[in-house]
Amino acid sequence: MSSLQGYVDRRVLLILQDGRVIVGVMVGFDQRSNVVLSDSKERIYSIDAGVEEIPLGLYLVKGDMIVLIGELDDAVDTAVDLGTIHAEPIPPIRY
Amino acid sequence: MLIFSVFKTLTDQQVTVELKNDLSITGVLKSVDQFLNIRLDSIKVLDEARHPHMMAVKNCFIRGSVVRYVQLPSEHVDTQLLEDATRRESLAAVKR
Amino acid sequence: MLPLSLLNAAQNKPMLVELKNGETFNGHLVNCDNFMNITLREVYQTNTEGDRFWKLKECYIRGSTIKYLRVPDTLLDAVKEEQNRARDAGRGARGAFVSGGNRGRGAPSRGGRGGRGGPMRGGRGRGRGA
Repeated sequence: MSSLQGYVDRRVLLILQDGRVIVGVMVGFDQRSNVVLSDSKERIYSIDAGVEEIPLGLYLVKGDMIVLIGELDDAVDTAVDLGTIHAEPIPPIRY
Repeated sequence: MLIFSVFKTLTDQQVTVELKNDLSITGVLKSVDQFLNIRLDSIKVLDEARHPHMMAVKNCFIRGSVVRYVQLPSEHVDTQLLEDATRRESLAAVKR
Repeated sequence: MLPLSLLNAAQNKPMLVELKNGETFNGHLVNCDNFMNITLREVYQTNTEGDRFWKLKECYIRGSTIKYLRVPDTLLDAVKEEQNRARDAGRGARGAFVSGGNRGRGAPSRGGRGGRGGPMRGGRGRGRGA
């Protein structure tokens, strides 16, 4: 699982199985892709309102809940005014 | 293990991964591990207007367990070789 | 930093645990193991809808049912510091001169990384990455 090593100390975006989107700094991970995020925030998407960010702080997410971990391009991310983004939430995983 | 090897031969090729949450992501395959977790570079989400969530994400790690399909570049898959390898592996499994 | 190091350091600290079914548990961590099975004390449980509450003296949660844990921000620095201390101690134990735990107390050069242990510099003796 060496593939998560490059994300340590980077700002990342997590998508969880229940469709939640969480951004934060990855401070650690393990073999089972359990992940620790600091300064994390949940981004709540909806069609009829802009994106809402809820601060969550220090978060330990179990590996089996994770769908995707993406490295954020900070320049692009900070340039986006989340308040203007309207989108459907990401659907939960259906097997 | 055979499919793991197939994916390894496809590193640096462009693939499209469809997830079980209906998201489709195209990108350059950077690495894969034994769980078929996938690293993609230079990613693009299909139907970006509907899915702006990943706008600022340039590369990502996808958990193998949530992948529904991977579209492979057919010109880089030797299907004859893959068929033969599959037969060999299943034969070996029977013998064991 | 490993997720389990963080969890181990969270003993006696308050935390919020959400299960895969959406139930949440607020309490203080009593104990945990490598599967992330945990016991909490003085627990407030809420149902998935968040409209019913229960108070439990103590509860056990199987690690495989957990979605995530939310722990106090201050834990991060505590764990990092602890890891630095452990690494420095590991170095000290292998270098000559220093004996046991009370090495370097009050010494002026405390705190910074590197510098001490002269001949032991280099790849060996550092903690694990991450």
